[in-house]
Amino acid sequence: MPRSIRATAPLMAWRTIDILTITFLGAAFGIAYWGWGLAYQAPSTALTTIFPPLAGITGAPWLIAGVVGGLIVRRPGAALLCEVVAALVSMIPGTQWGFTTLISGILQGLGAELAFAILGYGAYGLAAAMFAGAMSAPLEAVYEWFVYWTDWGWSYKIAYLVILTAAGAVIAGGLGWVITRALAAAGALGAFPPGQEAREARAV
Amino acid sequence: MLRDLDLTIEAGERVLLVGPSGSGKSTLLRALAGLLETADAGELSGTVTLDGVAPGDRPGSVGLVLQEPGAGVVAATVARDVAFGPENVGMPRAEMPGRVASALAAVRLAPDRGAVADSQVLPASGVDEVAGLGGAAGAWPTSALSGGQTQRLALAGALALEPSLLLLDEPTAMLDAENAQSVRAAVDEVVTARGLTLVVVEHLLGPWVDLVDRLVVLDEDGAVVADGPVRETLASEGERLLATGVWVPGAPAPTPIEVDPALVTRASTRHTESALAATELTVARTTRTVDGVATTRVAARTSEPLVVGAGQLHALVGPSGSGKSTILHALAGFLTPTTGRVETRTGQVVADLDPAGLAAHVAWVPQWSSSTIVARTVLDEVLVTAQALGRLDAGSETRARALLDVLGLGPLASADPRQLSGGEQRRLAVAAALFHGPELVLADEPTVGQDRHTWAAVVGLLAAYRSGGGAIVTATHDAHVITLAGDRVHRLTAPPAAPGPRGGEPLLAGRGPLALLLGSALAVPAGVLSPGWRPSLVLLGIQLVLAVSGLVSARSGVIAPLRALLTRLVPGLLAAVSVAWSTWLLGGRDLALAGNGLTRVLLIVLPSAVLLPFIDTDRLGDQLAQTLHLPDRPVVAVSAAMHRMQSFGQIWEEIARARRIRGVAATWRRPATIVGHVLALTVGLLLRALRSAAELAVAMDARGFARAQRRTWFHPARWTWGDTALVALSALPALVAVAFVMVVR
Repeated sequence: MPRSIRATAPLMAWRTIDILTITFLGAAFGIAYWGWGLAYQAPSTALTTIFPPLAGITGAPWLIAGVVGGLIVRRPGAALLCEVVAALVSMIPGTQWGFTTLISGILQGLGAELAFAILGYGAYGLAAAMFAGAMSAPLEAVYEWFVYWTDWGWSYKIAYLVILTAAGAVIAGGLGWVITRALAAAGALGAFPPGQEAREARAV
Repeated sequence: MLRDLDLTIEAGERVLLVGPSGSGKSTLLRALAGLLETADAGELSGTVTLDGVAPGDRPGSVGLVLQEPGAGVVAATVARDVAFGPENVGMPRAEMPGRVASALAAVRLAPDRGAVADSQVLPASGVDEVAGLGGAAGAWPTSALSGGQTQRLALAGALALEPSLLLLDEPTAMLDAENAQSVRAAVDEVVTARGLTLVVVEHLLGPWVDLVDRLVVLDEDGAVVADGPVRETLASEGERLLATGVWVPGAPAPTPIEVDPALVTRASTRHTESALAATELTVARTTRTVDGVATTRVAARTSEPLVVGAGQLHALVGPSGSGKSTILHALAGFLTPTTGRVETRTGQVVADLDPAGLAAHVAWVPQWSSSTIVARTVLDEVLVTAQALGRLDAGSETRARALLDVLGLGPLASADPRQLSGGEQRRLAVAAALFHGPELVLADEPTVGQDRHTWAAVVGLLAAYRSGGGAIVTATHDAHVITLAGDRVHRLTAPPAAPGPRGGEPLLAGRGPLALLLGSALAVPAGVLSPGWRPSLVLLGIQLVLAVSGLVSARSGVIAPLRALLTRLVPGLLAAVSVAWSTWLLGGRDLALAGNGLTRVLLIVLPSAVLLPFIDTDRLGDQLAQTLHLPDRPVVAVSAAMHRMQSFGQIWEEIARARRIRGVAATWRRPATIVGHVLALTVGLLLRALRSAAELAVAMDARGFARAQRRTWFHPARWTWGDTALVALSALPALVAVAFVMVVR
């Protein structure tokens, strides 16, 4: 597997297009999150009826912005900022979860950010994406124990954490990676490392 | 893109740069502005110097105006937008209003009387305080500007940094004649008054010839093929320019090329009757302020019935903002007219057609042709609707390739359509709309941005479609196309603006964003701490009383704000019910436990639904940077992105419409199509977001944002007594919850 291309050095030197891309992606995901907030109710209720912690599956799409932001811009803070902006934008018109959306955004973004940091901001393949997706989940799950699932027993709480983490890896990580590839293939990431990777892949 | 280009421009010269599309004109402009590496990738060699130094060395020494109106808008109000450059170079706040006023005066940009008052829609409150800083422009929303005004705003934004060189990248390509003239007049005036050097890229030369003194012509490979005084060069190089497709002034309209009608006609459905009949239409749009006060304004109206017969071409004309696109949307059934009906030949209401029926009947060429792209290759893009309708046959691919050849897209048949240039995408959208042989095509500016050759191909193709019985309704500024429509030209006039809501505002209007956020946050401890559903009901009661007193005002009455609040609460109610449901399932089907869950979520969510919609994104940026001292550049980027929230919502809608009319919409019968649909919408939206970010990055860096180390801020961020009161009152339920907990113990 080819090594991922890093962002231009120094890593902390954000270009204007880096910052704007992250916040614009965040805003676009925020709109999509808001839409998902209206659509997810039916499948979520169905899953909860089978086994309540399965709500983790329908919760995972909300973890995607951080993964995609990190995969595209590849600078420290990209995943966190992208997820926080997405949360902020989806919160303002009125979401199910009100202000807690922002808290969730920060916790989820921190998780994804931590994953990319552990990888030294140097790995951005499918495995790294799934790792970031998985890492977006635990802080969020624990936070939800205290705010929403206060009446659940420990077995359910643990099951929820595990399911959200797994779904985060597959849905946020896997799908986030697919979306990033699709954007690169569309030629929209020319100014970023994934665009460079797509060009090199074509050139080979 | 560009190779071995050597160009010297003297101070004070006015240069018009022309060349066929793909010749690297825009690349050259970005190089002159020192912004080549802002958003582009590729090999770069060579240097650009301005008075001996690199153009980026003094921020703002090169002013840049981009093609798409609004692409470079940074702020919600005109004054703040103009002040963006001065903020970036750290100009003291006291000097800014003067600089802003002189830049606005230079481009003659001033609000119409009433425009400011009428736009005092919540939550852009705090207007009085702001107006003091920027005069009327301080309260003039950038979203209320016409295309021409927006381009003049971009010009003013560049002038605020007192550039010596002004670069214009097809500044009038997307404007109607009147707006385009207003922009050229402003350019002429400021360049003369300030003695600026000017470089304009344009493909429509005529109107610029009198404004410039030198003409530089590039060929397809980006090499200079002619360079000299404008009239002499036009005279000597006219033939060559015509041959490369440039719109040379004075030359007759190109002759549409002959296209075989069989390419775009289905023999089995040769149409002879009328394709569409619409009565007089009115489309009204109702906007609601946060406190539920509704304002209804007419967005578009036609003054006569529109009966589109087979083979006819109808043109909708009128200045930008007159509602041409809106009427096209109504004809396509995307929106239901407030008065009037749109029916197909068989008397069906267009808006009631299912996706397949709609796709079979009507095709659409949208203003943003990139949003209709649904396939992965150019060839598939042409075939996709025919395939969805089961209209493919053995000869389809051959015909599709022939169609692409006509439009000069043949060599790109297996390319990814999203990689094409804007002009290519527009031609592809025309091909994709016509191929499956719909009865009617609704085309929004199908010829914009085409050179003479591609124009002749598009118009020839449309003519072939008509001769096969197809009908066309087009919204257009193109004088040649309007001529082709003969007497089937429908002139739309801009409907009058509706007056904004009058009377006292609710108490929450004008509260600072941080106070609003903090107030929402304080609901979380209240919800978490509340010891059961009975105390929670009490707390909810307190919250409701506070909500009503914050929302109700003389202008809104009591009912409207509560109804608006209830609408915003619907998602929260659903969430509360789902939490209650899962708690009930688990908790031994105990209703009290379920009640605890239900009320807890409501307690957490209610204040957010009341407070958060009042957040003003510009002021949020002010407070995040100046009150919380978060880093300037990310804060500016966050506000800029939040500005575009609404337009991103519209893009989502537009892509969904495009998929519906292309016959590829999802159905609940096949759940896999839903997943594909949502994914396609998301990627489509992200692509547009990425492109806007790249455009804005160029515009911002041209105004010194790349090097903005110590920014200043046009507006101070004040924390008011009202903000303190809001936070204190919001803390009340949490405090009462603590008291309940102590009593329970």
